[in-house]
Formats: sequence, C-alpha cells, structure tokens
Amino acid sequence: MEKKLDLQSKNVNISPGEAVGVLAAESLGEPSTQMVLRAFHSAGIASAVVVTGLPRIEEIIDAKKKPKSPSMHIKLEKGVAGDYEKVREIRRKIEEVRVGSLLKGFSEDLKGGVMLLYLDKEKMAAYEVTQRSVVSRISKMERIEVSTEGDNTLKIKAIGAGKKRADMKEARTAFVNVRTAVVFGIKGIKKAIVQQTPDKKGYYIETSGSELEEVIKIEGVDKRHVYTNNIFEMLHVYGIEAARNLIANELNMTMANEGAGVSFRHISLVADAMTHKGIIMGVGRHGIAGSKESVLARAAFEETVKHFINASVFGERDMLKGVAENILIGKQVSVGTGTVRLSVRKEDLKKIKKA
Amino acid sequence: MQAEVIDYIQFTTISPEMIRRMSVAKLIVPDTYNDDGYPIDGGLIDQRMGVVDPGLKCKTCGGRSKTCPGHFGHIEMVRPVVHPEFAKSIYFLLQNTCNDCHRVLLNDAELDRIRGEIRKFVEEDDSKEGQALAEHDSQKGFLIKKMKGMSKCPHCGAKQKKIKFERPTMFYAEGNRIKPDEIRDWLSKISGDDLGMLGIDSSVSRPEWFILTSILVPPVNVRPSITLETGERSEDDLTHKLVEILRINKKLEQDIDAGTPQIIIDDLWELLQYHVTTYFNNETPGVPVARHRSSRPLKTIAQRIKGKEGRLRYNLSGKRVNFSARTVISADASLTINHVGVPRRIAENLTIPLHVTVWNLDSMKKMLDSTEYPMVTNVLTKDGVRKRVTDITREELKNALEPGHVIERQLVDGDIVLFNRQPSLHKHSIMAHTVKVLPGKTMRLNNTATTPYNADFDGDEMNLHVPQSLEARAESRYLMQPKDILLSMKDGRPIMSSGEDELVGIFLLTRDGARFNKEEACIMLSSIGSDELPHPDKDGMYSGKLIFSRALPKDFDFEMKFQSGNVKIKNGELVEGTIDERLIGAKGGARMILSLFNRYGPDYIADLLLKINTLALRAAYMSGVTLSVKDYFNSPEMNKERGEIISNVEGKTAELFHKYKEGNFEALLGYTKRETLEVLTSVRLREARTMASGALNKLLDGTNNAYLMARVGARGNIMNFVQTSMFLGQQDVRGKRPSRGYFRRLLPYFRRGERNPRAKGFVISNYVSGMTVMDYCMHAMGSRDSAVSKALVTPKSGYMYRRLLNAMQDFYVDESLGTKDASGSLIQVMYGGDGIDPSKEKLMKLE
Repeated sequence: MEKKLDLQSKNVNISPGEAVGVLAAESLGEPSTQMVLRAFHSAGIASAVVVTGLPRIEEIIDAKKKPKSPSMHIKLEKGVAGDYEKVREIRRKIEEVRVGSLLKGFSEDLKGGVMLLYLDKEKMAAYEVTQRSVVSRISKMERIEVSTEGDNTLKIKAIGAGKKRADMKEARTAFVNVRTAVVFGIKGIKKAIVQQTPDKKGYYIETSGSELEEVIKIEGVDKRHVYTNNIFEMLHVYGIEAARNLIANELNMTMANEGAGVSFRHISLVADAMTHKGIIMGVGRHGIAGSKESVLARAAFEETVKHFINASVFGERDMLKGVAENILIGKQVSVGTGTVRLSVRKEDLKKIKKA
Repeated sequence: MQAEVIDYIQFTTISPEMIRRMSVAKLIVPDTYNDDGYPIDGGLIDQRMGVVDPGLKCKTCGGRSKTCPGHFGHIEMVRPVVHPEFAKSIYFLLQNTCNDCHRVLLNDAELDRIRGEIRKFVEEDDSKEGQALAEHDSQKGFLIKKMKGMSKCPHCGAKQKKIKFERPTMFYAEGNRIKPDEIRDWLSKISGDDLGMLGIDSSVSRPEWFILTSILVPPVNVRPSITLETGERSEDDLTHKLVEILRINKKLEQDIDAGTPQIIIDDLWELLQYHVTTYFNNETPGVPVARHRSSRPLKTIAQRIKGKEGRLRYNLSGKRVNFSARTVISADASLTINHVGVPRRIAENLTIPLHVTVWNLDSMKKMLDSTEYPMVTNVLTKDGVRKRVTDITREELKNALEPGHVIERQLVDGDIVLFNRQPSLHKHSIMAHTVKVLPGKTMRLNNTATTPYNADFDGDEMNLHVPQSLEARAESRYLMQPKDILLSMKDGRPIMSSGEDELVGIFLLTRDGARFNKEEACIMLSSIGSDELPHPDKDGMYSGKLIFSRALPKDFDFEMKFQSGNVKIKNGELVEGTIDERLIGAKGGARMILSLFNRYGPDYIADLLLKINTLALRAAYMSGVTLSVKDYFNSPEMNKERGEIISNVEGKTAELFHKYKEGNFEALLGYTKRETLEVLTSVRLREARTMASGALNKLLDGTNNAYLMARVGARGNIMNFVQTSMFLGQQDVRGKRPSRGYFRRLLPYFRRGERNPRAKGFVISNYVSGMTVMDYCMHAMGSRDSAVSKALVTPKSGYMYRRLLNAMQDFYVDESLGTKDASGSLIQVMYGGDGIDPSKEKLMKLE
C-alpha cells in the first residue's frame, strides 16, 4: 500500500524544469478575464460590504498598503466564546464610538468659538458609554476646553493658537475634531458585529475595519484565531510567513468566490514570489518585475529608458539568465526543456585534460 | 547554428573618445543630398556611414545596401550640452559632491565603512567589483539623507551651495546658472574612488561623459530615407533632428568666431540643447514637443525603443517567422482532437527539412523524383546553399545528393505542426497537431478541440507553424499534443470534452428507454468502426446504452453517484444511468473522461473521444433534434404560473414597503432602515427568476427541444428560457436596481416616487411576446451596463496578466522540485508545498 502510494505520488510530481511561473500566471490571468469588475458586492445580507472579484485580486497582487474594505474575523477564547454577554462586552471594546454618533444634535457658534453638544441618553446606553467617559476623552484633546452644562449637554470652547481666542477656521477644525473623536473602542474599526458560529455553540465577532495589533491586546480574544484581510497588518504583527499564508488564502478565497477553481499550487507560488525576500513585494514595476536582476528584462517590461540609463550610469551587467533576456538576444530560454545542459563529471574532465 | 554565445551584456556610458573612435565620419554639413540627388560628403547621408540606395557602395566597407552593416558617424559639439536622460544623475552628483574640492560629502569614517562593506561583498560573492558597486546602491537612500544634511564639506570645509535643478537640463547654484561646460569641469574632478562610494563604477562610466561634447550619429540604415512616387525624398525623423542639431551647431560656431554678443550665443546654445534633448527623447517633460511639418510629433530615439510598439517589445520580444500559414478555420467532426486539416495549397507551400544520411540516401533520391504534390522543393548543400528543385535542376541535384545535404519536402499527412489562435493566453493556445491534408481552403479542426483555443467557426482565423529542427519536432510531438495536455494546468480538469450537439446526442442515446432498431444500430456502430453487432433485446431492438457501450474499452469500470441517480459502467457496459454533461462535458469536470484518461492514457483518449462524439452525433441525427419558435410558446399553465409569480413578488415588495412605512421594520446589521428596504426589495425581485425557472422545470420536459438542450447543457440555460418565454426579471445597473434618470423617477412615464417595482427595472414582459417601451428601456440600461463593464474588465485583467507573467516568467522547478527564479534564488523549497503537478492533482484523487 505504502509502495503504491509512493509510486502514485511520483507519477504526479511536477517535472523538473517546468516553467511553473508562467503556468501560474496563465492560470490566474485567464479566469480573471471573466471576472466582474464591480468593486462592491454585498456578500449575503447580514455582513458588511466586501471588495471582491478583480479589484480585490489586484489589491492583493499589487500589495496595496490599505485594502479598500478591511475586515476582521475574531474568534474568542474557549471560556468566552459561548457566553453571549461576554462576547458583546468584547465587541463593545472593539467597535469605535465617535462623539458624533452619541449626539441628539449640536449647535456651534464659530465666531464665538463655542459649541454645545446635546448627548443622546439612549444612544449612549446603546453604546454603553457614560457622559463622564465622553468628557474625559474630550478633555484630553488639545486646544479644547470642556465644561458640563447641566445634564446631557456639553459646552466646548475652542482655543486658538497662542492661547488666543480661536478664529472661525480654527474653531471649525477643532469642533470637527471633537465630533469625530473616538470615545471608546478601537479607532479604525467602524463596525463590529457579533455572529453565531455555524455549529450554534458559540459566537465570534466580525468587523469592518481592521486593527490587528489593538484587537489582540483585548482580553478574551483568541490571539491565534484572529483573522484580518489586511496583509500589512499581518506582516507587522505576525511576520512574513503569516503574511504569505494570508496572501495565498485571500487570493484563493477571492478566486473561489468567483467560481474560478484555480489549483492552490499556482496561488501559493504567487504568494511565495511576493514574500520570498522577507518583505512584501507587489508584482508590478515597483515590486517583483521591477526588482529583477536583468536590465533587459526590466526594460522590456516597463520604463524602458529609465532602466537603460541607470544601467549605464552604474555600469550594470546583464548576465542573461532569465527568459525575457534570452528571447531578446535570440537564445534558448532558461526554463522548461531549455534547462537541460550538458554536464561533465570532474574526474572525466581531468582525463580529457591529460589526454 | 550558434556561432558565438553572448555571455553577458555590460552597460556603460560612452566617452567622447570612444565616440570618435567608433565614428567613421565627422559630420559638418547640415544637409542630406545635393542638387544632383547625390549624398553630400560630411552630410547626414555620408556614404562612409553605409548606404541604403541599391547600386551604391559603402565607402567604409565596400558593401552594398544588403551587406553593409552600417557605420557610425559623429558630430563635434562646439559647446557641450547636457544629455537630457542623464540630467537626474548629474543632479545627484552635483548635490552630493563638494562644490570646491569635488569630493563626496561623506566623512572619512563613513567612507571607510562603505569600502569595507564593498570588499566584504566582493569576497563573499566573488563577483566583480563593478557589480558590487551597483549592488551597493540599495542603501543609497540612507546615505543621500546624510549627505543632504551637510552644509560644509567634511574634507575641505567649504560651505556648500544649494543646487537647484530645473527640468529638463538647467542647473543653478544658489540662483546662478551652472553652464554645461562648468558642470563637465566639476564632474571630471570627482575621483574614481569617490564615485565608487556613490555606486558608480568609474572604469565603465565617468560622469563627465553625461555632458556631451560629441554626438554619435547612427548609420543611415537605422534612419533610411524613403523615396515617394513623386520622386521626392522623405527623410527619417532622426535625420531631421540631426540636421537641426548640425545647423545650430554650425551657426553657433560661426557666431563664436565672429565675436557675436554673449546673449545671442547663449540663446543659440540653449537652442542646441533643446534639439539635443528632443533628439534623445521627444517626450521629455518640460520641453515642447518637436514636430514634423505636418504637425506630427517626431519619433526620436526614446520613442523608437520604448513601449508596446517600440524596438524592445515589438521587434525583439516578438519575432516574425517563416514556415507559417494562416487561414480561416472550419469544423470537421471526423478528425480527432489531435489532427488539423491542412488545405492542399498550404501543404504544398510549407516544407520540412530532412537530413540526408548514408542510410536514407536512396529513399531521399526517390523523393526527389516526384514531380507532383508530395515533392522536394529545395536542396541545401553542405555549405548551406539553398537550391530550388525545378524540372531542369532535378536530375542534377539528384545525382549530386549525398549525405550531409538537407532536402526540403512538402508537408504531408502525419507531419507535426503547431497550431495557434490569438490571443495566446495560456499554453493550450499553441498545441501540436498531426497534419491531415484535405481539399478546400480552410484549416479543419475538431469541434472538441476548439475549447482550449476559444475558437469558433464564424470566421476565426488560426495560425500554423512548421517546426524545422529535429529538437523542435520532438518537443512538439512529446509535449504539446492535445492528447498529452488534455488535463488543464489550471485545475487538473480535462480542457477538451464534449459539448453542444454531442451532449444532446449522448442524452438521447443513453437515456432510459432509448431503443433503436437493427438498421439504426448498424449505422451507429459502423460510424465508430465497430463491426460486431451485439445481441439485441428480446424484441429485436437495441438499447441505446448497449450501443454506447461499444465505444468503451472492454475492461472499463466506472461508478458515480448523483442525486438524480447513479451511473454505473461495468466491464465496458453501461449498466445504469444516463451519460450527461457531468461525465463527458465541461460541467462537473468531465469525470468519465478523466477516469478514462487516467486508466488508458493519452494515446487512447483522442480516438475514444472521437468515438464517443461520433456516436453521440449519430444518435442525434437518428432521433432528430430541432428547435422552433413553438418551443417558446407558453401553455396556459405557464402563463398562469407567470402571472402568479409576478403578483407574488410584487405583493411581497409592497408588503415590505408597508412594513417600512408602519415602522415595525428592523434594519439589518450594518445597514440603515432605508438601505435595508432596498436590499430586501431587490432580493425579493431577483427571486422571481429563480421561481420562474422552478416553474419551468415543473411544467416542461424533454419533448420541448429548447428545454431539452438547456437541461442537458448543450446550449442555453434555464434562465435564457425564463427570459424568452416568461419574463425578463429585474435589470441591474452597477449591481443595483437602476436609479438614475429624471427627478425621483427613471422615466417620465412613471409617477414620481412610484413604488411599483416595474418603475425600477423589474421587467415583466419577455422576448417572445415583446417588451413595452419602458421595459425595453430598462433592459437597454442593464445591457449597456454589462457591455461597459465588460469593456473595462478586458484591458484591466489583461494588464494584470502581463504583470503576473513578467514577475514570474523565470520561475522553474529544479531537480529537487524546489522553485527557483532566474538568479537562482529559492522561491519555494517544494513547488506548491508538495511538488505535485497541478494538472495531475485530480488523477490522484481518483485512485
């Protein structure tokens, strides 16, 4: 049995020399032609809006620093996951609450540099925020003076540069800053939703907006099962291997969602190509294609003149190892059947020399 | 034959001395031809630089226009000018070297550190110092910051002036212009060692060469002039530009000699700079574009090289070939997937070289005898002289034929050729087929083989290439035949499988209760070359399953469980179930074909596919499959269903709105109430089509041919049917219900704020009975949207593909199944994590 398996697995092995990069590019490029361009696609009804299809693939492959729709999938520690109340409490710590979303309304006097905030008790209760916490948050801000004006009303005074009275422009920016100040939760997480796990035994949290570093600090969060679709955050917090896996996983999911079943081997190759130098590189002219050793290969791709000029200034040398260069000069390419070269054993070479 | 192998290409800047050494002619006359139409000596068409006109001889090498490779000339600049493309590098150097002692603005400690690093690099990598220097520029950014902070030279203590660079070629030191000759002076004083610290290898590239004191003039055959029918000569853009440069250069010289005021000289100098700038790159930012008389921008050196139509991508990455053919393709169901039908006229024109040896000398001579179609067209002698075989030369060539000669023979049946359809998006866009010479003028291709090429026969043309070398032919035969690469590299599924008519046929043949009489059975069986008539059933009839089984190998076992029933093949007999799309078509991955391929291998599969398909088509002829408008006319039940579905859906949406109005309406998480209403409404409306297809499935059966085709997966789907005979359903614009148009309404036919779904793109009419004007308009909106987005996706995904390909084209699998790139660095320790060929991963699961 073992022998049979071994034999079988040898039969399905990839052939040495195979131009797997080209194959991967073809396999990913071809289905992308049929993909939708539409950036927004409401996945189901309940969860947040997600970027899918070609735009998402491009986002990953270009190694964009900020995804258009960052989101997280947060699993919780064993003792917590089953307890709805505790999960809700964690959710509250995660979702950002801005001052503006706690208001019934506000009135501002830009000339006088004074703004009145009318807090909404119901909303505050819903977000589980107290008036005191709001005041303490706002009082931390610069160039602002807060005072309580009876129940549920806050008076904000803007202070101009050099302790003078704020002019209208200063007042305006100060007030906007106050209203968008995050009172509670993690800044950058616009929405957090408690969801039930498919087995109905526990809960997890889904967010729109991603802030991995902050989220894993929260107690009750299972640090080993926090998922984000922001590759750079993953790189920053968990390192390059995690980022590689994330790239592969995100690509795989996006392709699968589009109904394009591409072998994972191709996807993993792209992910490895993007990360094998220890940093994340996009595939474009600023990434892998632009950091190739060969001058000719780079020039044949994009920014031809720039590459030639720099090559001559720095006296670069093209060793003609890659595919593009060899096509240019009319030699056999270095992949596939072109990898086969004549080799002579050292002992034999000595014999020849003697003879 | 490879005479010389290029080991590497060294890029350098070129020194004025080098230019003079390379040059065969110093050009001084800013003109081309004299009044007699003869090239002027010292002009731009100087015959020492080679000739393009036939009949003239090159004055340097004596070659004619075809044999002379061309020789460079040069222009001596009266005043130096900046090479515009190097302006940035010049700026970099001016900024980072002292304006007094011209040393690098780094202190000795720093310099020692860099030196040490470079030495270490050279030792570790045993590469040349030049390369180490180039490599070193990775940390340039850090050093530049350091140098920028220097206000005083750490070597001589001189205060540093701020250098300003004004595009494209002007430099200022604290407001005072530094002229090119001053820059040249400055740059030439930077020591080679200091340059090394900046990553510049002074043995190949000195910065003072960035300032041009002489310009290399390309040979005439690089910029040939063309003669119009009128006899008028038209010069190449480059020649025009060079004439300008020479003219201004000459004027400048005269003015300087005549002692003209400095301002005028400076103006001329600047003009010269402009011409040189546009000569190198006519798209330099900040410079007005140089134009031809006809206001067409001139195509100068940079434009010739770069971009899709430039030298690099157009001429060097893409090469033109001989031994190829192109014509319209058409279908031939009697060819296997491995064949290509080649028209006789093409076969007569294409040749294959055969090497004459002692062993085949006689048969080769016999081949030479032939005076009609399969004949030898050329004989290549040992010294490579090609001689055409004609009635006159035939005998002579035949007698002279000896081992070592090569004969070129016309294409015949069984030769291997490459077949291609553009766009060549994946490896299956070029496959090797076996030639079958056929009458007619089109190339013939089996239906089944169209999928990988994405071809159809509505006028598509395809290309055919004849591999010439033995290696190429061997590789084609062993690696590129459709039967060998039947399984897709993408996901391991068969890329070629039955479709359309074959699927209807196979359904009619193998469905339960399909019976044929003796005559029919004989016709079908003979079509696949089976001369054995199986035993009929008791009533003398033959079941379709029985006939189908004749196409299968005798020892084939296969079993597949589906919800709709199982399919079981035992000992090559279809015992149970109907063969359908999931088993031999693209949907579901052609499971049976996969299994057959795995069991019997590529050599068997081409014939087998042909057999199955032939049988299926035969069955379709026998049973008769047709399509008429009748199939789309509704029965009263269908009309009733249709009405019910529409009122049901409209009722549901009205109810939703009612709830929303009342206020007892809960918003979905992450949405506002209003958005929730919209989301839920469009979900309900979209459900309508699903409901309709359910109704159709209930009401229709195989007697409706349109429905039959949709169900077996031959052509169309249930949604098409719904749209033709039920209703079109909700139309989408940008993934949402259409919403833009008049104020609070899409079309003036509706009331403002109309809640009826029909006012927002829900179309209840169908193609058969026709649409109302409003419905038509909605439908058009949806169609436009999808047409537009399709037009946007194509270039976008095309570019993504190009980027991916460029990034990964050098990757290959090494002997230990790891993945490496061109420079030999490891990408993956084991390809794909397990070293398994993606095209074979499905085979593994089968076992």
